[in-house]
Order: sequence, then C-alpha cells, then structure tokens
Amino acid sequence: MVTRTAELESRGADLRGASRTIGAVLPFLALLVFGLAFPLFGGGYWGVIATRACVYWVLVAGLNLVVGFAGQLAIGWVSLLTLGAYTTSVLVAGNATPALHPYLALAIAGVVGAIFGLIIGLPALRLRTFYFAITTLGFATIVTQVALAWQSVTGGGVGVAGPIFPRPFDSQWGFYYLCFGLAAVCTWMTLNVAGSRYGRALTAIRDAEVAAEASGIAKPHLLALVFLFSGAVASIAGGLFASLQSYITPDAFTLDLSVLFFIAILIGGHGSILGPLLGTILLTVLPEFAAPLVAWSTFLYAVLLLVIVLAMPGGIAELLDFKNRRPLESGRAIVPRPELLPRLLGGATNAGALTLHQVALAFGGVHAIDGLDLEIRPGQVHGLIGPNGSGKTTTLNVISGYYAQQSGAVKLNGTALPLLERHRRAHLRIARTFQTPRVVRSASVLENVMIGGTIDGEATFVESLLSLPRQRRDEAMLREKAMLALATVGLERLAAVRADRLQHSELRFTEIARALTLRPAFLLLDEPAAGLSAEEIGRLGALIVAIAKAGTGVLLVEHHADLIFDICHHVTVLNLGKMLAAGTPAEIRSHREVVNAYLGG
Amino acid sequence: MVASIVSTGLAIGCIYALIGITYNVMFSASRVFSFTAGTLGMLGGVLGALFIARLGLPLVVGFVLVLAAGAVFGIITEIVAVRPVLKSLDQHLYVLSTLALALMVQQYTAIEWGTEARPFPRLFDIARGGFDQQYWLPMLACIVTIVGLELLYRRTLVGHAFLAIAEDTFAARALGLPERRLRMASFALAGVVGGLAGFAGGEMLLAFFGNAPLLTFYGFVPVALGGMGNNRGAVIAGLLLGLFQQSANFLVGGIFASVAVFAVFIIVLLVRPEGLAGASAQRRV
Amino acid sequence: MPISAAEPLLDITGLSAGYGKIGVLHGVDLSVGASEVVALLGPNGAGKTTLLRAVSGLLPWSGHVHFAGRDLAGTTPRDTVRAGLAHVIEGHHVFTQLAVIDNLLLAAYDLPRGERTARVEEVFALFPEIAAKRHERAVALSGGQQQILAVAQGLVRRPRLLMLDEPSAGLSPVLVDRVLVVVCRLREAGTAVLLVEQLIEKALALADRVYALARGSIVLEAKTGEPDLPQRLEHAYLATAPSRTS
Repeated sequence: MVTRTAELESRGADLRGASRTIGAVLPFLALLVFGLAFPLFGGGYWGVIATRACVYWVLVAGLNLVVGFAGQLAIGWVSLLTLGAYTTSVLVAGNATPALHPYLALAIAGVVGAIFGLIIGLPALRLRTFYFAITTLGFATIVTQVALAWQSVTGGGVGVAGPIFPRPFDSQWGFYYLCFGLAAVCTWMTLNVAGSRYGRALTAIRDAEVAAEASGIAKPHLLALVFLFSGAVASIAGGLFASLQSYITPDAFTLDLSVLFFIAILIGGHGSILGPLLGTILLTVLPEFAAPLVAWSTFLYAVLLLVIVLAMPGGIAELLDFKNRRPLESGRAIVPRPELLPRLLGGATNAGALTLHQVALAFGGVHAIDGLDLEIRPGQVHGLIGPNGSGKTTTLNVISGYYAQQSGAVKLNGTALPLLERHRRAHLRIARTFQTPRVVRSASVLENVMIGGTIDGEATFVESLLSLPRQRRDEAMLREKAMLALATVGLERLAAVRADRLQHSELRFTEIARALTLRPAFLLLDEPAAGLSAEEIGRLGALIVAIAKAGTGVLLVEHHADLIFDICHHVTVLNLGKMLAAGTPAEIRSHREVVNAYLGG
Repeated sequence: MVASIVSTGLAIGCIYALIGITYNVMFSASRVFSFTAGTLGMLGGVLGALFIARLGLPLVVGFVLVLAAGAVFGIITEIVAVRPVLKSLDQHLYVLSTLALALMVQQYTAIEWGTEARPFPRLFDIARGGFDQQYWLPMLACIVTIVGLELLYRRTLVGHAFLAIAEDTFAARALGLPERRLRMASFALAGVVGGLAGFAGGEMLLAFFGNAPLLTFYGFVPVALGGMGNNRGAVIAGLLLGLFQQSANFLVGGIFASVAVFAVFIIVLLVRPEGLAGASAQRRV
Repeated sequence: MPISAAEPLLDITGLSAGYGKIGVLHGVDLSVGASEVVALLGPNGAGKTTLLRAVSGLLPWSGHVHFAGRDLAGTTPRDTVRAGLAHVIEGHHVFTQLAVIDNLLLAAYDLPRGERTARVEEVFALFPEIAAKRHERAVALSGGQQQILAVAQGLVRRPRLLMLDEPSAGLSPVLVDRVLVVVCRLREAGTAVLLVEQLIEKALALADRVYALARGSIVLEAKTGEPDLPQRLEHAYLATAPSRTS
C-alpha cells in the first residue's frame, strides 16, 4: 500500500515536472514559430525591424549573462558592437588587409570581440560598481573616437560600407533568416548556460558572493569566460548590424543604443532569458508604434527604466513568474530526516583532523585572536562559545579563508591551509554557513542548494553552452544530490519555491542543505540557531549530531549555550581572543571562570 | 603657447574639479554616486544661456535662477532616484535610477534646446584676449566653492551636521539629527555646485546637451583619483587632469588625447582602486 | 498608600522586533518609573540592544510602548529625543572629525542657539575631563573619554529617561566607575535610567530593579535587594528552559 502511494506520488511529481518544463519551453517555441513564419505576413518595412530585433538580441543575449546573471553593470557594451561592425566591414572592404570573405570576417570579428570583451570586462574584478560602469562608458566613447580618427582604415566621419553576405543571405528575407538563425542559436546557448552550474554560479556571484566563494566558485575565472562569450557575440552582432545598415559611420553607435541594450535586460528582469528577449523585442518595436514620438524614444526608455527600478526591479520575469504567486501553506514545519545522511555524505571520510596551532590575528591594536589552539576531529561536534567580541566568528573566518592569521598555523591532516584562498576551501571539503543566510533570493531553493555542488560538475563552459551529454549528466547528478540534501534537512516540499519567499528558519536550513551538497569532511556553522524557535533548535541539534555521526567534523559557533551543552563532544570557550577553557560540556558548565566570563564578573 | 595650455588646462580642470565636488557632496550624504552630477553641469550652461541670452534676464537674476534650478534638480535626484533605493536590498539600484534620471533630463534638453552647441553669453563686458574671463571665471567659481564649503563644514552647525551624517549615519540618527532633511539639503548643495560649474564654464564648453556625458566622465575622474568623498583630492586631481588633457591635445591631437586620458585613468584605478589618496577598503564577512 | 501605583515613565507591553525576517524580541514586557534606575541584563544575542533600538525608533517594532503617557508608535529617533528619551548607542560612536564641543552642540541641534550653548556648558560641568579637551577633535580622545562624550551627548537635552547600551564596554575599571557615578547622580537629579550592562555586579549595585532578557523574552524581573538574585540570574542565563520568576 505504502509503496503504491509512493509510486503514484512520484509519477504525479514527474508529470508535474514535465508540465513545468513544457510551460517553460512554450514561449520560446511560440516565438520560434512566429519568427520562422514572419516573412509570410510581415511586409518589407517590418522585415527590417524584425531583423534589427534579431541582431540586437544576439548582442543582448550575451550581455544578459554579464549584466543580468553576473550583475556587472557594463553600461558601455555598445563599444563591442562598434568594434564588430567596423572589423567586419573593414575586412570585407579590404581597407587594411586583402578583402576577406564575409563569413571569415565575421568570425575574426568574433575573436576580436572576445578579446576586447575580456579587456573591457576584467576591471570589474578590481573596481566598485559605479567605477566599473563609468569605465565601460569611457570605452564606448574611446572606440567611437578611434573610429572617427583612423580615417585611412575606417573612413573617419565618412564611414565605410557594411558587408554583404553571399547567397542566399543577400536578399532581405535571406538576411533576416541568417540573423534569426543566429538569434535562435544564441537563445539556445544562453538557456543552456542558465540551466547549468555556470549560470547558477553567476547568480551566486551577483547576490551572495561570499557564499559563492565558500562553495568553490572562482569569480575571476567565471567572469573571464562570460566576458569572452559576451564580447564575441556582441561583436558578431556588430557585423550583422553593419550589414543591415548597409553603411556605417561613427555616429550610428550612440550612447542611446548602449542604454537601450541595458534597459532591455533590466526590463526583462535579471536571471532570466525570456524576460530580456521580450524586452529587446519591445524596445525595438516600440518606436515604430509611437511614430510621432520617435524623437522621444530614448527619453521614454529612461522613464521606463526609472519606473522599473522603483516599482518592479524584478522586471517582466517577475511578472511572468506565475508559479511563485501561488500561496505557500502556512504553519509549515521543518522536519529533517537524518537517516538520509549516510547516503548523502557517502560514507566515512578519511580526512584527518582540522587543527589550529597558536593562531593569532589583530585588527589595528585589538587582538581578535590571541594564540588559539583548536582541534576539530571528524565525527565529532566541537562547540566554540564566548561573549561578544571574543573572536568566535573571526576564528571561523580564518579557518574558511576570509581572514589570514598573522601567526600560527591552520592545518588539515598536517598540511597547512593556504592563506586567504577561500574559494579553494570547498575543494578541501570544508563547508560553512553564515551568520545571516546568504542566498540567491530570486532563484529557487533547489537552485540555491545546487550551488553547493558546483565543484563536483565536470562539464566545461563550452559543453554547457552546447548542452553536450556530459553537461546533462552533471545536471541530473547535481539535481539528485541537491534534492537529497533538501530531503535530509526537511525542505524538499519547498524545492521549487523562490528563496525570498521563505521564512528565516527555512533559509537557515537551506544553507545547511547547500553545505551538505558539498559532501563536506568539515562543516563550520556560524550561529545557526539565531532566530530559530525552541523546537527548531531541537531539530537542528539532532541534525548536527547525525551529521557528525556520519563522519563529518563539525565546528559549531554559537551563543545558545544550551544547544552547545546538549550536542557537543568538546567545547572551547573564548574570551578576548584567548582560550578561557576547553573540555567536555559537563566540565565547562561548572567551570567557575566560564560562568564569570558570561556573567561579566 | 604654454600660457594658453596652462590657462585652458587650469580652467577646464576647475570645471572638472567642481563636478567632482558635486559627486562627493552627494556621496557624503548618501554613500552613493549619482549619474546626475554631469547633467547638473550641463544644465548650468544650458539654463544660463536660456535665461540670459534667450530670455534677456539680467546677469544676477539669471545666475541666481541657475543656482536655484541646480538645487531643485539636486533635491529631485534625492527624492526620486536615491531615497527609494537606499532602503532596497539590492545595493546597486542607485546606478540605474540615477542613470535613468540623468538620461531623461539630457534627452529632454536635446529635444527642447536642440542638439547643437549654442553659444553662451559673455557675462562681463570686458574685451577678449589675455587672461580672459572664460579662463578666470571657472577658477573663481572653484575658489569660491572651496572656501565656501570649508567655512560651511568647519564653522556652521549645519556643516557639522553634514559631516556627522557622512561619518556615521546611524549614530547621527540615534542622536536625533534630522537625517532625511540633511540629506536633501546636501543634494541641494551639490546641485548648486554643479550648476555653478556649468554656468562659470559656459563660455568655454558652450550651451550643449552633449556636455552631460562628457562631464559625467571627466567629472568623475577627479573623484576616482582623489579618493571618494575627498574634496581636496578632487580639486588637485581635477587641475592635473585639465592640464594633462590640454597638453595631450596639443601634443597628439584631440582624439588621441581622450585615449591618453582614459588610458591613464584606467591604469591608475587598476593599480590603486581606492584612488591615489584614499585608504584601502576593508573586507567584511 | 496610593490606591493605584503611579504610571511608569516608560511602559512596554508585548514588544516584538527584529531585523528583516529575523525576529529577535518576542512579546517583551518592561517598565521604568520616573527617577528609577533599571538594569537590563542577559547573555549575548538575547536582544537587549534590539530592545533599546526599537524603543528609540531606530528599528520598526510592534506592540505597545508608552513614554510619559505618549504612544511612541511610528515615532522617529528625532521625535523620541524631543519627547525626552535619549539613547546612547553601544560602541561609543562619536563624530571623530569634529571637536568635542561640536559633538555636544550637535546633540542639541533642534534647540535655539542660546539654550544650546547653556546646555552644553551644563554637561561640561558634569564631565570635567572632556571639558578640558573641548576644542580637540574627538579622534584625539581615548576610548574611555569617547564613551564619556557619548554619554554626555545623551545628557545635553536633559532627558527624562536615558537609555545606556553597555557603557562599560572597552573601558578601564576606573572609567567604568566614573560613568556609573554619573548614573547615580542622574537618579538623584530626577532622570530615570535604563541601563544595559554586561558587568552584572556593578549594575546590581546601582539599580533599583533588574530584568533579565534571554532569547527574546523577559525571563526574570526582580528588585535588586532580593536575596538569591545572583543564583537566579545564573540560572536564567544558562538554563535550558526559560523560567519566569518574580
């Protein structure tokens, strides 16, 4: 009886999952069909508009990964459109080199775009948001000015003819299908990235950078990949643009155009592919409907941007997110299932102990940690308590690589941990949670948890772009592992819910599920009980005990003395950065000095 | 020749420095940078030409109106583009909201005033030549602004309140200071400085809507190089920028001068993201 | 014997507050009478700072808070200061770039100029050690002197109730006693004090009544004279289950 119900349940879940996927794919299919059939009913004039929308989308699809997913405000990306347009046109016209075939020119433009995308984008790693935005604007101006000045090659203010592609793409509709085809390919590729560990890693960098680092995501590497891709497609879009315009001059590449691309992504909503796609179509088509207002189009785009930012930062994507409008059941309880842990964590780990030896760190003149010894053994829960300012969280931050100790050593199995390499801790199977839950608010709970398993994926970026078999295997594996982690902490019913709809306690357990997805040898918990009810604290305690029993070594930093005394095998008490006492809970509890430290005698 | 480079460079450097100060005053009050600083400079020139040349108002009246308009635009920036997004969880929305507002004003100007650069009226009826008013007006404006701000911040209670809000908003609020009103006043002050920059530099830059993106970028360079919120750094950096730009103009020509400025700017920023004078940022987990 | 007890100066019932989604205080009841010194004790993370911030208007809250007969719902810190409720926040936050005297003048921002300077002189009389440094910038003061300056800022407006958040933090014992002596004199002068403190013995020596806050609720309320208070406090701090005794 029980198995039959379970069978029906899982089949029901499969059907629901299938219908969800169809629901997600349907808009794209509809657009595909509409686009393919367009020449049948659209006139010549609208053909140009449609072609332009496709060309813009090729650029915006790539820029979407940079702005919408990675959160890097590259306002001046039109510089790559300019670059691609001129590169293609000049190579085809033979102004600087022997005349090349348009396809070859376009491909070279793509390579040039990739390189410059990287050059323009990488300062994002060093600069604050506003500074980066301004430098991209500066690039846009520079590129246009160079185009203006380099008369021998670019024709200066006079301009240069755009490339004409060979048959069958030399007619209007032929060219339309070329652009449409490339737009469709870009849509498909970016959809693949969005649904891969790379897409999730990008949103993690955008919304929860410290959590991304703790999950092993290396920001420079990932951003470099995205800038390369985005630069390449933007440049290719430039080549197509030049062909569409037939003739290009520097003043075709205005700041307005750059802002248009940017606004399309923001109207669409970040983290979405469909939203910016609809946004691009909307913004390309809008001036045509409001013919007398054409002069005002940029003004209206700016008004639209302001309205979106103030009223609906989630954009079209949020409007279309119907499944997240359904009310959640009230009075939900989090019921962990610790019995699933052995399956999730995969048996006993054979890592040695995590030790701190005479670690010291001072900020200014204050000794945050003053000669601390600590040992976290696999299979045991080690509690770290102390009054405010005693150095508990600082210790955790040193172990997880956010701070570098000034003296002393942090060792795993005898080998010293490299200083400040917080994104490498995940590779050593050291996972952590944070005092305030760091999650990607606009992603689902399941996607958030899957971020924890990022480093276990094997597919490369290119494989995920093209949705090759290894990528699909990765996804299935990560999904299964994350669902198992969610079931372990008791949140599997909320897997598809957007994370910002969750209660605080559910977010805490989500973070733990994310950490467990890493199959950690060591789990560092930073005040996980804060904000939980007494019952939830009890369940949390049972879960932590079970995690340790499954072989993981747990460091529990806490204020809640009762939780510590209940579940820890060993307790270290810190005061003013020094170890005040260490031992079993029973020993600590009756230790006079500890009581005094807490009571402030 | 050298004299010409120096006077042009210093004059335009003063305009950049004033826009940098506009950025800084807004930053001190709210911890965000606003894209509207460059637009304020543009408005100073355009509105000055509108009031004095087109509408024929007397110099003093036109000047006061320009400053008033700057203050109003500053306050609008605070209410519409800054205050609503300070509360939001997404920390970077201010970039977009201030960009949108700046663009709206720029486009409106382009449509109503026109896209060509119009001449700015001659303010004082002194013959041209030598150390002309188009050079010393911006410098005078810069000096007056620096002295005025210094007096404000050091000697008046309101100025102290501005400094308090800039240093520690939370403590200022707990103490009972009217945080919102002070922030609006700061933005109004920033608007006045920006308008003054555009007005004083009007003859040099002309009344042109395209000054907005120009000043947005070149007015930010002093902030980036001088350190966020650091007005003295902005002035020094602005003057150096002006001189460097004019020298480069003379030596390699207009287009490559811009490339040179930009290249130096980005290299300095990459090497020292906090600017030449600023303190290094601290990581917080 | 009065038929009904005098209404407390500060009356809090059912106060709940938190940060975003994290609820910290769950239905707190607390009162402070005029000219009374009340100590609020409790382990870290219990919500003591949150409580003070809610009352002074720095955080949103729900429940009932009345001060001097006035309902504080929806008030800003500026309103509460004007109503006579001063909050000296934790961590001796003074404005380091301004002179000592300017720090104090700012605390009297809303007052007319003559009154402002008069009040500042009053406060200087209470704290000669900072009066001696009146024109120095606050950054030149030691941590302890900055804390005294912060307390002085709270007193400029002659508040009816002064809320102090861990004034002893980071201070040497000598300076701690300095501050607490001032608190004593405040009571004599008719100012009520709500004192959040880590140093339990010192707080008990000074206060008329004490509350203990743990995990967001009041777990103990007593007069300081009561016999087995230290043991009851220890139990309240380290107990597994909250116990409410009065």
